[in-house]
Amino acid sequence: MNQSAPLQIVFKNIHKANSHTLPVYLKGGGYKAMAEALAKTPEEVINEVKTSGIRGRGGAGFPAGIKWSFIPKASTKPKYLVCNADEGEPGTCKDRDILRFDPHLLIEGMVIAAFAVGSERGYIYIRGEFFLESQRVEGAIREAYAKGYLGDNILGTGVRFDLAVHLGAGAYVCGEETALLESLEGKKGQPRVKPPFPANVGLWGGPTVINNVETLASIPAILEHGGSWYAGLGVEKSTGTKIFSVSGHVNRPGNYEVEMGLPLKRLLEEYAGGVRGGWDNLKGVIPGGSSSPVLGKQVCETVTMDYDSIARAGSMLGSGAVVVMDKSVCIVRAIARISRFYRHESCGQCTPCREGTGWLSQIVTRIEAGGGQPGDIELLEELCGNISGKTICALGDAAAMPVAGAIRAFRDEFVYHVEHGRCLVE
Amino acid sequence: MPTLIIDDREITVKAGATIMEAAKLLGIHIPHFCYHPGLSVAGNCRMCMVEVEKMPKPVISCAMPVNEGMVVRTDSEMVRKARRGVMELLLINHPLDCPVCDQGGECKLQNYAVKYGPDRSRFQEHKREVPNYDLGPVIETEMNRCIHCTRCIRFSTEVAGTEEMGAVFRGDHMMVGPYPGRGPLTSELAGNMAEICPVGALNLKPFHFQVRGWELQEADGVCPHCAVGCHTRVNHKDNIVYRIKSRRCDSINQDWLCDKGRFAYEGMTEGRNLVPKIIPQEGGSLVEVTWAEALDRAAELIKGVAPDEVAGLAGAWGQGAEELYAFQDFLRNVVGTAHLDHRLAQRDFSGDAVPLQRADLMLNTPLTAMEEADAIFLVGADPRHEMPLLNLRLRKATLNGAQVWSMGPRHLSSNLENVEETVIAPGEECNFLRKVLAAMATRRGSKAAVAWAGALRKAERPLVLLGRYAINHPQAELLRRLLLALLNKAESVQEAWQGYNRMVAVANAAAAQDMGVVPHRGPGYQSVARTGMNAREILEGCALGKIKVLFLLGIDPGNEAADSYLAAAAVAEVQVIYLGAFGDRAAQQAQVVLPGLLPGERSMTLTNGEGRVQRCERHVNGPLMAREDWRILRALSQRFAKVLPYNDLEGLRAAMGRGDRRYDPGVVGSGKLGVPCDHGVGVTQGLDVNVDVDEMEDASGPILLWQPSLYDDTPVVRGSKTMAKLAGGVELRIGTKEAKKHKIASGGSVSVECNGHAIQVNVAVDEALEGSVLFGTGLDFRCLGDGKGGFLPVTLKALK
Repeated sequence: MNQSAPLQIVFKNIHKANSHTLPVYLKGGGYKAMAEALAKTPEEVINEVKTSGIRGRGGAGFPAGIKWSFIPKASTKPKYLVCNADEGEPGTCKDRDILRFDPHLLIEGMVIAAFAVGSERGYIYIRGEFFLESQRVEGAIREAYAKGYLGDNILGTGVRFDLAVHLGAGAYVCGEETALLESLEGKKGQPRVKPPFPANVGLWGGPTVINNVETLASIPAILEHGGSWYAGLGVEKSTGTKIFSVSGHVNRPGNYEVEMGLPLKRLLEEYAGGVRGGWDNLKGVIPGGSSSPVLGKQVCETVTMDYDSIARAGSMLGSGAVVVMDKSVCIVRAIARISRFYRHESCGQCTPCREGTGWLSQIVTRIEAGGGQPGDIELLEELCGNISGKTICALGDAAAMPVAGAIRAFRDEFVYHVEHGRCLVE
Repeated sequence: MPTLIIDDREITVKAGATIMEAAKLLGIHIPHFCYHPGLSVAGNCRMCMVEVEKMPKPVISCAMPVNEGMVVRTDSEMVRKARRGVMELLLINHPLDCPVCDQGGECKLQNYAVKYGPDRSRFQEHKREVPNYDLGPVIETEMNRCIHCTRCIRFSTEVAGTEEMGAVFRGDHMMVGPYPGRGPLTSELAGNMAEICPVGALNLKPFHFQVRGWELQEADGVCPHCAVGCHTRVNHKDNIVYRIKSRRCDSINQDWLCDKGRFAYEGMTEGRNLVPKIIPQEGGSLVEVTWAEALDRAAELIKGVAPDEVAGLAGAWGQGAEELYAFQDFLRNVVGTAHLDHRLAQRDFSGDAVPLQRADLMLNTPLTAMEEADAIFLVGADPRHEMPLLNLRLRKATLNGAQVWSMGPRHLSSNLENVEETVIAPGEECNFLRKVLAAMATRRGSKAAVAWAGALRKAERPLVLLGRYAINHPQAELLRRLLLALLNKAESVQEAWQGYNRMVAVANAAAAQDMGVVPHRGPGYQSVARTGMNAREILEGCALGKIKVLFLLGIDPGNEAADSYLAAAAVAEVQVIYLGAFGDRAAQQAQVVLPGLLPGERSMTLTNGEGRVQRCERHVNGPLMAREDWRILRALSQRFAKVLPYNDLEGLRAAMGRGDRRYDPGVVGSGKLGVPCDHGVGVTQGLDVNVDVDEMEDASGPILLWQPSLYDDTPVVRGSKTMAKLAGGVELRIGTKEAKKHKIASGGSVSVECNGHAIQVNVAVDEALEGSVLFGTGLDFRCLGDGKGGFLPVTLKALK
C-alpha cells in the first residue's frame, strides 16, 4: 500500500475554482480517458475495469467490471445505464461533492460505461434534496452536449449516448437499485423481487446497469492509467481509493479520499483531526453508514478500512460513512434514532420490513424511554433475525443490523437501560 | 424441462416455472398470502419462503424459478422458523377480531396462524389504526385487518383495468385503499377483490354479518345470468343462497366472477310466484287454486281456441334447455301451433329466411382464443357491460397489443387498451360498413372507414363482435352480412381462425336456438314443416286478434320486448297463461299462473355463448308449491290427446340429445367441460348485401336509445338490491352540445315525450354521447315504446 502523500483520483479536481465547469475540467485533462476508451473495443474496456478490481462504491461492493459483463450483448430491448445518485445513507455525503464539484468526471465515466455495455441512454437519478447538485449536473450535461461529449455522435466516433437527470422525491429506499428503477419509471419507489436482476430485466424491461456515482467517477482514471495501476492501489480484493465521509465526534469531519486498507485509527487521527477528547474518549464507530453494525473501541484499534477487514470485524464497509461516537453517546438512544429512521423509510411492501422496522423502533424507543422489560433484548435479537435475509431488498437487513450489532457490542448498556430505566452514560 | 427435488420427491416441470408451481404439481401446499395464480407475482408477504440447498437465505417460492438439480425443502427448521417469524409480524398489527369478522373460519391468516404461527403475542405496543373507505355497494372495508398483500391492488390494475386501488404512504403507515380522490369502485368486477382478500379487510357488503362461513353449505354451480356461463360456487343454508363465489375454470371465467353473477341471487326471493292461481271462469281476480285446477284451466283455455290461435313466448333467461325443449315440444306437438319464439328484443328477423346456422348465431372464437386476437372490431357492442368475463379476454388481447376498433351510437366506458372509436348516428351503421367495404378496395374514403379497412386488411386474427345494439338493430341482418363481406375480404387472416362472433349476452339464448324455440326451426337446427310467427308477429297477432291465447314461459313481454308498448297492448288483448317464477306485470294480467322454478332450484342445462353445454344441478329448494317448469308442461300435456313422451329428467334429456347431438346426456352428464364453438362454419357466401331496408324515421330531432343494462336485464337481477344500487337511478343522458341546445344542465329535470306518452326524468350530461342521440338508463323508459324502424324520436321539454 502506498504510504506517501494522499492520492486523489475521484477528488482530484474538487478543490479547484469553478471545478464544475467544462473549461476547468478540460484543463485538468478531462475527457481524454473517454476519447481513449472509445478507440478501444467494449470488451477491452470491460476487461480494463475487471482488471482494476473496483468494487461498487454504493454499499454492496459488487465488482463493477463483472456487473457490466452480465449485460447481454444482444438485446431486443434498449439497454440502459443508470447512475445511482440517490445518496441517502445517513452519514454519507461523498457523492454530493462529486455531483456539485466535478459533474463532468461522472459524465465522462458514464460515457465510458455506456460504451462498454452498449447502452445509448443513461439517467442520473439524483436524490430529491440535492437541488444545487442536480442543477450543476444538468449544466454540465448541457456543456457536454454542446461540445459533442454526449449526443448522437460522440467526438465523431459514431458512438451515441444520451443522458438525462431525474430528481428523486426524497425516499431513502429509492437508493435501492430496483426501487430506483420503479421510481424512474414513474411508479411508487418499491424494490422489485429478484430474480430477474436488472442486468436482464431492468428499466422498462431493458437490460440495465446501475452504478454508484463514486464508482462511475473512478472509471476515467482506470481507463487513463490502466486497470493494473488501479489494482495496485489499496489492498487485495479492495483495490483503489475510497472516499470516507467522516462525521460525528472528530475534530475535523469531512470527506477524505484515501487508499483502501488504511487503518481506521489513522483515518480518524491523521485525516479527521482526531477523536474529540482524544482517542481514549472513543466509544465506537459506525464504519459504513447507519445500516452497518457499530464497532467497539477495541475493534477500532486494529481494523483497516477495506471490505474484508471490516467484514471480519462483524460490520461492513457500506457506503463509507464513518460515524464516530465518543463516550458521551448513549448507544441505546443512538440506535433508537437509527431505528426510527428505518421505520420511516421502509417502503412498506414486504411483511418483515414493514412490520419489523416499526416494532424494532417501538421497542428500542420504549427501552430508551425507561419502559424496558425483561426479555426485550432477547426479543430484539430474535426480531432482527426474523427480518434479516427475509425481505425483498436489503433495507430490512439495514434496519436489523445496527440493532443486532449494537446489542452485540454494547449489551451491558441495553441491560442497564432495561434494569434501571435510564442511561448508563450521563 | 428442469428436474428438481422438493421434499425428497423428484419432479420435472417446464422451464420458467416457479418452485410454488412445481410444489403444487406434487400436491405440496406452500402457505402464501400475496400469491394468486391469476395475478402478477408480488413476493411481498414472505410466507412462502422455502429452503433451497446451496442458498444461504430462504427464498420465496412464488417468485423463484426452478433450476435443474435444485433441492428444495418446504418444511425444514429454517423454513418453519421463517414462517413463524412472518406470522408473528403479520399478526402484531392485526386486530385479531376473528369473532366478529366475516372471514372468520375461512381466513388464510387464521388458518396459518394456527398451523404455522406462534400461540401468543409478544407485541406490547399500540396496534395500528387505519381508516375505512366507502367502496360502494359491493365492498365493505375493515382496513385494520389488512395485511398489505396488494392482491386487490393488482387485481384492480391488472385484471379489472380500472386502477382504483392503491397503497399510500410507506412502511407501517402504508394504507391500502382507493387512490386518494377515487370514491366508490366503478369496476363491474369489484366483488372479486373481497373474494381474493386473504383476510377480512375487504368483505362483501351484501354478505356482511349475514351468516358465519362454517354454517354454509357449498355447491358447484354455473352462473345463469349471462351467456358467458361462469363456473361458480354457491354457498347456501336453509335453502337460502347467501353468497356466490367464482370457481376456477381456465377455459371460461379463469378465477373471476362479475358483480352481477355474484349478487343477482339476492333477487331470487323477491316477488315470486308461490302458488298456482287462476282467474275463475266467472271472472274476478286471480285466486289460489290447486295444481290440478290450474292445469285444467290452462288446458281449457288452449282447447277453447284453434291451435293456430295459440302462441308461445319464452324467456331464454332462467330456463334450462330442458324447459325450452319441453316448451317447444308442447306447443308444436301437443297444441299443434307453429308460433313460438324467444327473441323478443330482436327487431329484424330477415335472417330466418336464410336460415342462419348455429355458427351464424353464436361465438365462433372460443373465449381462450380471443386473447390471441390482434385486431378487435366491436360493432354496437359494449362487452364490458354485456359479458364482463368475455371482456377480460379482450382486455388481455389488448394488453398483448391488439387494437380495438369500435363503432356504435356512443363512446364506450371501456377498460380495454388501444381503443379507436367511431360514433355512428343510429341508422347509419350499414352505410358506414359499406364505406369500409369500398375502402378495402379503393383505400379511399372517410378517415374512419380507411382506418377500419386498413386494420381489416392487415389483421391476421381479427375478432368481430356484434353486440346487443347490433343484434337488436332494425337492420341487424344487413349489418351482419356486411361484416361477413368485410371479413371475406380481409386477406391476411390465418387459416382456421374464426373471427365472426355474434355476442348474444342473454343467458341460455344459445340453448333456446339449439332447442328450436324459434318459429322456423326445430331442435338441432332441423327444418320444420310449417314456419310460424316470430316474436314481433306474435305480439302484433295478439293485438290484432289473430292470437287468442298466449303462453308465456318465464317472460314479461312488457319488459323484454323491443317494442314494449306493443307488448303491453298485446298482453292486454289475449288470454295469458303464465308459467314462471316471478309475479311481474304479465303474471298479474294472466288467466292462469303456474309457479315455476329458478336456476339453482332445479337441475338444468345451460349453454353459453360459445355453444358450450353445461349442467347445473339443484342446490336449494324452491317455494313449496312451485314445480320444475318442464314437469308442469308434462302435466299439462296429460290433459291433451298427445302426452309429452317423457316423465323424468333422463327421458327428457335423452329426447334433447336426439334433437341436438350436443345435448347427448352421455356427454353433458359426463362432468367434463363441453366443447366450445362445436358448430363448424356458418353461412358466409351468397348473402345479398344489397337488400332494401326500411327507411328510418326522420332523425332530425333527438333520438332516444334504450337498452337494458348489465344490472337490470332480468327479473332476478331487477329484484337484487345490490344490482339496483349499481344500476343507479332512472336518468336521461344527453350529449354536451344537445344539452346546450335544449338549455338543460346536469341534475335538471326534463320531460321526454313520444307516442303521446311522457315521462319525467333527471338529466345527466354525458360526454360519451354525440349529436342528438340520447340514452336512457332504467326500466322506466320502457313505457315510451319503440319508434318506427326501431329508433325512437322524442321531444324534450326542460322542466323547472
